[in-house]
Amino acid sequence: MRALTANRLSDGEVVFWSQGRWVERFAEAQLFADEAAAAAEAAEGHAKTETKVVVEPYLIDLVESEGLWAPLSYRERIRALGPTNHPFHGKQSEGGAVIEALQHASGAARSKGRVDLIRRK
Amino acid sequence: MYRYDDIDREFLADRSAEFRDQVNRRLAGELTEDQFKPLRLMNGLYLQLHAYMLRIAIPYGSMDSRQLRKLAWIARKYDKGYGHFTTRTNLQFHWIKLADTPDILDHLASVDMHAIQTSGNCIRNTTADPYAGATPEEVDDPRVWSEAIRQWSSLHPEFSYLPRKFKIAITAAPKDRTAARVHDIGLAIKRNRKGDLGFEVMVGGGLGATPHVGPTIREFLPAEQLLSYLEAILRVYNRLGRRDNRTKARIKILVASLGAEEFGRQVEAEWAAIGAGSDLPAGEMARIRAAFATKTFETLPERSESFEVAKSADPAFARFVRNNVKAHRAPGYAIVEISLKAIGETPGDASADQMEVIADLGERYGQDDIRVTHEQNIVLPHVKLDDLPAVHAALAKAGLATPNINLISDIIACPGLDYCALANARAIPVAQHIAERFANQDRAELIGELKIKISGCINACGHHHVGHIGILGVDKKGEEFYQLTLGGSGAEDASVGKVLGPALPANRVAEAIDAMVDVYLSQRQTGERFLDTLRRTGPAPFKEAVYADAH
Ligand code: SF4
Repeated sequence: MRALTANRLSDGEVVFWSQGRWVERFAEAQLFADEAAAAAEAAEGHAKTETKVVVEPYLIDLVESEGLWAPLSYRERIRALGPTNHPFHGKQSEGGAVIEALQHASGAARSKGRVDLIRRK
Repeated sequence: MYRYDDIDREFLADRSAEFRDQVNRRLAGELTEDQFKPLRLMNGLYLQLHAYMLRIAIPYGSMDSRQLRKLAWIARKYDKGYGHFTTRTNLQFHWIKLADTPDILDHLASVDMHAIQTSGNCIRNTTADPYAGATPEEVDDPRVWSEAIRQWSSLHPEFSYLPRKFKIAITAAPKDRTAARVHDIGLAIKRNRKGDLGFEVMVGGGLGATPHVGPTIREFLPAEQLLSYLEAILRVYNRLGRRDNRTKARIKILVASLGAEEFGRQVEAEWAAIGAGSDLPAGEMARIRAAFATKTFETLPERSESFEVAKSADPAFARFVRNNVKAHRAPGYAIVEISLKAIGETPGDASADQMEVIADLGERYGQDDIRVTHEQNIVLPHVKLDDLPAVHAALAKAGLATPNINLISDIIACPGLDYCALANARAIPVAQHIAERFANQDRAELIGELKIKISGCINACGHHHVGHIGILGVDKKGEEFYQLTLGGSGAEDASVGKVLGPALPANRVAEAIDAMVDVYLSQRQTGERFLDTLRRTGPAPFKEAVYADAH
């Protein structure tokens, strides 16, 4: 399973793609099944044209956690939650089942966001 | 302190207006991200994990209460009520919106501050001894020379597109509080036998993926020739630096590949060609010096009765004095270090409320002079002994009286994976765990000076290479692991730490530190710091303690 993420241009907020628009909550992100790779890549291709709205969109891999989905990479979980040193800053402050699933998720992978960033430098 | 003149102010206003226009054009889609990114970086604006980060220059770590209050105000209005002081003595805000940034730059300009040259391949903020003008060991005031460098290097057209970023440090006392030897250029102010003022010039130090301790290329440079000599160094670097390979582009690689002697020879040749025309005229130097004119200190007795009474009455105050209060050159005064390393808190962070408390104390008791250290603490350089109990009480009330300067919990940590887009692993929670493990101040004092420095990736913003114990976050298939290095120092006895062994998972780091501290305590000889014992015994007993259960 995958989701599409980026940072919003105007304020840097982490956003996720959901049926034609960008949302702030990971809980509302559109999930792309592995079989629907073409749809995921089409969404990513479209996102790359939205240069007035977002910066550097990319697809992230997800992993199951407590019956829900969470980003596989730790970096992406921090993006979807907020910094671990300030539990009331960022998206995590809202709480809820999806936030908890993210907080309890395990699994690890290199983040494509970071790999891309370093390659571009 | 140096004050901007009308030209400086006009320039900042223009610059801010220019950036406002660039932001508007970016938001309107007239500039692409590729076009805009270098422009925002020139104004210190990075895009990080959760938001934009704005890095504000605090020239040579020196500011006044008006400026710190403005930073507090910006923290509250545009960020989440706090700021992060960095190892470059700058301040970072981590929750900035692009659309707000032009307004923020205007507010900064209103107090003579900006974010120019806090990013990019240019000459960055100079690090200077945070005890400048206060320590009895000082040869000359490093702020005077740092300010000359600031004026000379600000938007210097020849040095705005160097092969890579460039950092200068000036230490002015035998005890180096600037990590001069691991800067691109380290300058140590000295007097020669005749009593003339000059600099020892060290070039090619640096951290990152290939750490180097900078060799001395000139033992004594007459002080008034500083700028022409810097120009010569930068010209050689500009000409020969490896622009073709980012990982080899810092001056340390050039100096190492040519050898210090050959590099020095080329600099001398270039310097001879430049001539004295590039040096600041004596009159201009005198103008800058006047801005840092020696404070007028009251004539006070060496000993303050009220201070002595408070010390014997209040053990917490006595502990604070033992660890955070340093000798001042004027009788009856002291240097106060304010630790931004409260146990369990984020190293280097200060809330807006805390910034205001420090600003008030600096204004009321500290001659309106406030410094940032590269170890992410704050200094009030001129406080009367008589006033120390009141200052301590106010700091304690604000959670700012942690008595741990130079102790094991006075840890440098970069923002790491909690904020930084380049990070491999988190640094802040590791620092918090270690500090909590050594929260007992008696034990911390028993251990004595021990510098732990943590970076979230090999860029080494947390100076891990020069930690007595360094901790580097590495990525093992996406999991956070931590590589320990031992034996580094950023002080006058500079050295680069050596990797101890295989990286450890996060939950084993604090216990590994504890195990090494036990080795030190059992092996130390009288007067030895952790680093001294380690240098005497070598790493073997420490390594054995950390990896014992792996055998
Ligand atoms: S050391 Fe790495 S993780 Fe830490 S602030 Fe620097 S770039 Fe970011």
